Amino acid sequence: MARMSYAEALNEAHCIAMRDDSRVFTLGEDIGEYGGIYRVTKGLQAEFGEQRVLDTPISEIAITGAAVGAALVGSRPILEIGFVDFVGTCWDQVFNQAAKFSYMTDGRASVPLVIRMACGAGLGYGVHHSQSLEAWFTHVPGLKVVMPATPADAKGLMLAAIDDPNPVVFLEHKFLYEVKDEVPDGRYTVPLGKARVAREGGDVTIVSWSGAVPWALKAAEQAAAEGIECEVLDLRSLVPLDEDAIVASVEKTGRLIVCHEACTTGGFGAEVVARVVARAFDFLDSEPLRVAAPDIPVPNSLALEAVYLGTRERLLEAVRGIVS
Amino acid sequence: MSLSPRDLKQLFRRLLLIRRFEEEAFRLAVAGKFANYHGGMGQEAIPAGVCYGLKPTDNTMITHRGLGVLLTRGVPVGEIFAGLYAKASCPTRGRHPIFHMAAPDLGILAGTTMVGSVIPLATGAALAARIQGTSDVTISFFGDGSVNRGDFHEGINLGAVRKLPIVYFCENNFYAKSMPLEASTAGGSIISRAQGYGLPGEVVDGNDVVAVYEATQRAVARARAGEGPTLIECLTYRWTPHSTAGDREFARTDEELEAWKAKCPILRLRQQLIEAGHASAEELDAVDVEIRHEVAAGVEFAEAAPYAAPEVALENVYL
Repeated sequence: MARMSYAEALNEAHCIAMRDDSRVFTLGEDIGEYGGIYRVTKGLQAEFGEQRVLDTPISEIAITGAAVGAALVGSRPILEIGFVDFVGTCWDQVFNQAAKFSYMTDGRASVPLVIRMACGAGLGYGVHHSQSLEAWFTHVPGLKVVMPATPADAKGLMLAAIDDPNPVVFLEHKFLYEVKDEVPDGRYTVPLGKARVAREGGDVTIVSWSGAVPWALKAAEQAAAEGIECEVLDLRSLVPLDEDAIVASVEKTGRLIVCHEACTTGGFGAEVVARVVARAFDFLDSEPLRVAAPDIPVPNSLALEAVYLGTRERLLEAVRGIVS
Repeated sequence: MSLSPRDLKQLFRRLLLIRRFEEEAFRLAVAGKFANYHGGMGQEAIPAGVCYGLKPTDNTMITHRGLGVLLTRGVPVGEIFAGLYAKASCPTRGRHPIFHMAAPDLGILAGTTMVGSVIPLATGAALAARIQGTSDVTISFFGDGSVNRGDFHEGINLGAVRKLPIVYFCENNFYAKSMPLEASTAGGSIISRAQGYGLPGEVVDGNDVVAVYEATQRAVARARAGEGPTLIECLTYRWTPHSTAGDREFARTDEELEAWKAKCPILRLRQQLIEAGHASAEELDAVDVEIRHEVAAGVEFAEAAPYAAPEVALENVYL
């Protein structure tokens, strides 16, 4: 065990994967000597060389397509796209190309690719650097969608994503990069599709992921002081989804709140609610709730961004409301 | 690199196989046997000439008019027809149009429906060859309709700036569906764009299979030697509409079509072989009979093949 940040844990996962497997390489803008916007690739070029830690032009179509093409011929690329907001520039290469090869070729070709992108608000970065677009990716069969909330999970999920034969969209919350916690040493994987019970409780299930997990834990702590015990489930990956874990928790608590940072409409919370209603309707003591952002772009000033992030405050009210 | 009489006869066979296949596929599509066909009739010299000198491990990425590449790299005729019929006996098992199929064992990495999207993908295959230290070269085929997409610019820029082992191969048949080149492409020239990327560029008579072969070999040799990409522009013309889905192409005239038919790549090589004394007319006619049988057997195979069972639709979304 060592205490390290989420960014350092991701860096360690890269080092382990690249030492163990010469097929693994990484590419992206300013990821070499500069070490990436979030320093996730810091020091990698010095150890693994310019061929395996590739600084690319600002050219998302080219680098995403090239990562897919390299994966098709046996490499295992890790692509960094600095902000998930930029995926619109290369979306065809993600959802029409990467996601479809296994299906199109009846499994003769595969795309073992990890696309790392930073998501999330909280730093006053504005409309083009702060979005949470995970729901887009979950709507594309063929993509896996991973969103770690802790340093230990960041490392273990990254190693699992690199091992996976499918394209994995790996969304890192930029507010979490500097968060430090204990991280196990050496190689280990956290399987995709296994949720984590971040806190146990018997009154309310709060399903969350990525940057919303700390909000859920904080609300759970505050609620506990008022005598309400929340169970906080960190999904870790949205595709595959650990539906069994969600259902098991709701069967225990009888109450469901899904809390995510992304906008409410079309958010993945709707999917979680629909699955629970389909499988555990009779266990529900009250209507399931979504606590998520208003349907607005993410504003720039911290004063306005706080409106978008009002979910944090509204979550505790929702917990109080659902048990009353 | 120079072609022997035996090579020329091999090339003749490949050209003719593509032509007889194209004729039959077009006829069957028009007869309503399958949904649609993007014919490559008239352009046979390109797949035949490009693929002839490739190593089996060299990769090709194809266009929606790329069935000639499948035929010349060894996908059985029957499987391709089965693909057109979307039957279970083709490599996609009816999941995806055969025009973009993959046969990784034969160096065919697939194509894509969005014209030009293959250019970055092919660039990535070349990047991987560089990283993996192999001597494999990638051929990225695309049409003149691709050259105004961002994928063209971004893909070629990346390949050029990293000097990757790839040949960017433009099949210029002068029309993107109904859109004439001069109405769509600023500067009026595709090959002049090579200069902007600092690449050598070569314009080739795309109806001369020997010229196509030789230009490809020069570009492949450069790529293998670590000297980077080449942009090749092959001038050619498709004899059939963009597809059989009722396309009307007002800009293409009968006079233009007849002028290009006079430059038929197959007749040219046939005359060359006979005039040089490499083959008799009878010998070449016998090849034709043999190929017609092969194509007919392929159609028969496809007609008899079953459709995939419904559960196939649910498989291999993930590996």
